[in-house]
Amino acid sequence: MRGINQTGIVRRVQGVVKRVNLAGWLFVVLVAGLLEAAVRLFELQDSLPASSATLRALAHGILSGTLPGELRTTLESYAEGFALAIVGGVVLGVAIGSSRTLLDASSVVIEFLRPIPAVALIPLAILFFGVGIPMRRFLIAYAALWPILINTLYGVRGTDRVLHDVAETSGVTRVGRAVRVTLPAALPSIATGIRVSASIALLVGVTAEFVIGTDGIGSYMQRQQLAYQLPELYAALVLIGLLGYAINVVLRATEQRVVFWVGEERMAGR
Amino acid sequence: MAVTVSRFGRRLLGVVVFAAALGIWEAWARSEGSFLVPPASAVAERAGQVWPTTDFLITVAASLKRLAAGFVIGAGIGVAVGLMMGSSRRTRRTLEPLTEFSRAIPPIAIVPVAIVLLGLGDAMRIAVIAFAVCFPVLVNTIEGVRAVSPEARDTASMLHVSSVGRTFRIYFPAALPCIVAGLRIAVAIGLLMVVISEFVGEGDGLGRYILFQQSQFNIPEMYGGILFLGLLGYVLNRLFLLAERRVLAWHYGAAGGPAP
Repeated sequence: MRGINQTGIVRRVQGVVKRVNLAGWLFVVLVAGLLEAAVRLFELQDSLPASSATLRALAHGILSGTLPGELRTTLESYAEGFALAIVGGVVLGVAIGSSRTLLDASSVVIEFLRPIPAVALIPLAILFFGVGIPMRRFLIAYAALWPILINTLYGVRGTDRVLHDVAETSGVTRVGRAVRVTLPAALPSIATGIRVSASIALLVGVTAEFVIGTDGIGSYMQRQQLAYQLPELYAALVLIGLLGYAINVVLRATEQRVVFWVGEERMAGR
Repeated sequence: MAVTVSRFGRRLLGVVVFAAALGIWEAWARSEGSFLVPPASAVAERAGQVWPTTDFLITVAASLKRLAAGFVIGAGIGVAVGLMMGSSRRTRRTLEPLTEFSRAIPPIAIVPVAIVLLGLGDAMRIAVIAFAVCFPVLVNTIEGVRAVSPEARDTASMLHVSSVGRTFRIYFPAALPCIVAGLRIAVAIGLLMVVISEFVGEGDGLGRYILFQQSQFNIPEMYGGILFLGLLGYVLNRLFLLAERRVLAWHYGAAGGPAP
């Protein structure tokens, strides 16, 4: 380690500091500190928990296994519904988008169903599926389906005709063209649809838990609110924000890889 | 074959398929006789009776009022903070971790917190709607301001245009097409939050209406309420698309080219 000289280390530390965004995190600490001071000075404990109390509740909730348990329940139905929506949205999107006739035929039905807010279906879904996990799975899948389907449609419609014609004259079958030409070309658009639907699906899933659920982080928050356990309530809020953030980061990283690869392909083709 | 079909013919095909789907629903609902799936005609009939009544219109008006209030507040905050974050790198870096985190919170998680702070009334609902509306507007405003050309920035600072002048006379107009696009995304999320916020507490509004009709097992009325929300979402989206095209046309005219 002697090989690295002083300026090298300084530069490296500077680089890390730059990437870490010190000002931003100091601001977060400042806000938390101001909150703590305000709660203590003006005795606001009845409407706001002190930051330290929230952090304690968060640590306790995580260590006791309560919060991870609730989070897992939420994530399970989320992952299942979301996976269903991805498969359904992409398959439907490629099929409909590949055929002008199918696109025309389904246009009015899609335009009719798409604007219905998914949360408005919660009362209906309860009647059909009861109040358990299948109801949440359905709602999450329904909410996530539309952005994925629409973006897949756009992506497929935007595919270069020449690629199709080349594949067709080369004797690639219809299904082969859909999988090997259309799907890869539409991937950037599909990735956008998946990213957009991820947050809507999480919103709808947690809402279903909040309104009617017996378990999951949404139901946990509702119970904490009714019991007036403010530090626990805010701890769950912080945790769910972190979850949403983590989902964003993972999806964006995945998307960047996919788009990067497609971008390179396209450039090589030019 | 599809190539020779006119635009009208294409539209007609869509309408025919839609009508066929309704027909299948109708026939299936009649033969099945399940109370969960009322015939389409029954839903339409009840909608025809219920939608023109004063009670229903008051319900709609209550939801729209909340949406408008929450939308104006949320969009106002989004544009203001967005202009600040877009025009100054330092401000952006400082606020970024906090806004990125807040943006990742599903807005439903704000509902119990808002209930504790503001009670079960309209203040809570409007706050929740504003929170959800704020972020798409914020993100689009930042993006719009950042896309302002360096030449425009440099010219302004060379001519000693004050930072306030720069914000309102350069950044805001330049970012407007992007902002309007954000507003259109926000109005759909706002409508979602109207319904969610009306699920909790007492009061009126379309969300409460749907939940109430479900609890009374007035199934056609419940379907009608859901249908109305869909129509509302469609109309609002159309209106914003119209506004977007207007703003974009103005933008093209002034800048002599499409937005970056």
